[in-house]
Amino acid sequence: MVASISLSPRPLSAAASASTSAIEVVSTERLTKRFGSIVAVDDLTFQLEAGTVTGFLGPNGAGKTTTLRMLLGLVRPTAGRALVFGAPYCAASAARVGAVLEADQFHPGRTGREHLITLALAAGLPAGRVDEVLELVELAPAGRRRVGGYSLGMRQRLGLAAALLRDPELLVLDEPANGLDPEGVHWLRTFMCDFAAAGKTVLVSSHVLAEVSQTVDRVVIIDKGRLVKVGGLDELVHGTSTLERVFLELTAGKP
Amino acid sequence: MIAQLRSELRKLTSTRTSAGLLAGLVALILFGVIAGAFGSEADLSLAENQRELVGNGSFAAVFAALVGVLAMTSEFRYGTIDATFVFTPARERVVAAKALAGLLAGTGFGALGAGIALGAGVVMIRARGLDVLVGGADVRRVVLGGLVMSGLWAVLGVGLGALVRNQVAAIAGLFAWVFIVEILVFEQLPAVGRYAPGVAGTALTGDPVGDSSAHLLTPSIGGGLLAAYAAAFVLAGALATRRRDLT
Repeated sequence: MVASISLSPRPLSAAASASTSAIEVVSTERLTKRFGSIVAVDDLTFQLEAGTVTGFLGPNGAGKTTTLRMLLGLVRPTAGRALVFGAPYCAASAARVGAVLEADQFHPGRTGREHLITLALAAGLPAGRVDEVLELVELAPAGRRRVGGYSLGMRQRLGLAAALLRDPELLVLDEPANGLDPEGVHWLRTFMCDFAAAGKTVLVSSHVLAEVSQTVDRVVIIDKGRLVKVGGLDELVHGTSTLERVFLELTAGKP
Repeated sequence: MIAQLRSELRKLTSTRTSAGLLAGLVALILFGVIAGAFGSEADLSLAENQRELVGNGSFAAVFAALVGVLAMTSEFRYGTIDATFVFTPARERVVAAKALAGLLAGTGFGALGAGIALGAGVVMIRARGLDVLVGGADVRRVVLGGLVMSGLWAVLGVGLGALVRNQVAAIAGLFAWVFIVEILVFEQLPAVGRYAPGVAGTALTGDPVGDSSAHLLTPSIGGGLLAAYAAAFVLAGALATRRRDLT
């Protein structure tokens, strides 16, 4: 399962054929982050392959968000490495990665469309791309309204629209289903599955197992900053055993 | 860098913050000019008092500083900084683009403020039935000095915002420093106080406070010093921004 890490950027078309030639889209090597005396992420090593939806699971405070932020260059590791497409996050990876970190990271007085335009300008994308992603997340009619009047579900979609602006090969979602209604969760699931079916990769964190168990191919489970389990969903869940039971056994059963 | 600059300029124009600051700027300067022309004891037939009246545009620097501070701190306040840095991992480029956008916006604020104060001031002087004694040199000093001062204050505001990050703390600290600490120090120890950023920048347009103008630096030295402060703040802000974790 562990493929070699290439340091050269791959051509964009590589993702399309990824289902046959396992590519390490994301990898961490002994990744560690300490905040003062608190160890948020502890010696974490795992890899993701292209064309998969990977659930990044663990209880609240397990270090999921910190790990995702290190992958995106927002938090600097204390030790170890967080690599995206074989390199620490940089301008080249930014063009291939989309991320939704929190549901509500918008200026309330700015319209959804203007929010996307500020990002599109930074990425050198035309305004037409903004309207495309607004259509894609079914937010086009609300695009010219100020975000302050959006529902939580609409904000989630706007965040996703921003993540999709650059047509990424890797989508990083931190607890995307938080606060979504059942319809929204269903929409998000369908979206992630379609995204991966196109040969792209999703890394989605969650502390609610039921949310992701119907969507993910693989899971990375961490607890107290440490790796607990990596594997395919089918390897973990057999017979009548649910992912939740597996999770509880793995995390609570430890000394 | 051009792409990031366009993004930062769009951020300034896509909320109502800049329009609100602009409205506040126009209102405050008009109020200052009208109050100065009709409400004060000063003899408006004297050239020095006329110069002070048309120099009210330098208030624009306060609003320009706010544009700069808010450009940086509102990203932290509303969390948009995450998306900004995910799109542009070279954080120092973001700070530099904001400083440049601030310079443009602040210069615009300064030009507008100077223009309004000049125009309204001349109208008020005429309305009082007095001769206009403001000359070309005064106009140049008020307009050029005003737009340079405002442009530099916006840049300094971006650097300050990047260092402090908390919106309320940055604005409260800025106002306490410029309107209380600097004024007190300049009144007690003008030989020291004139090197502080606010007073140094005041040398660009002349002294609105009056008597102590003799202690001010020359416009070019004062302006150069303010530019150095602005550059130092942006540099420090960029370095701090590069190093910090965004949790």
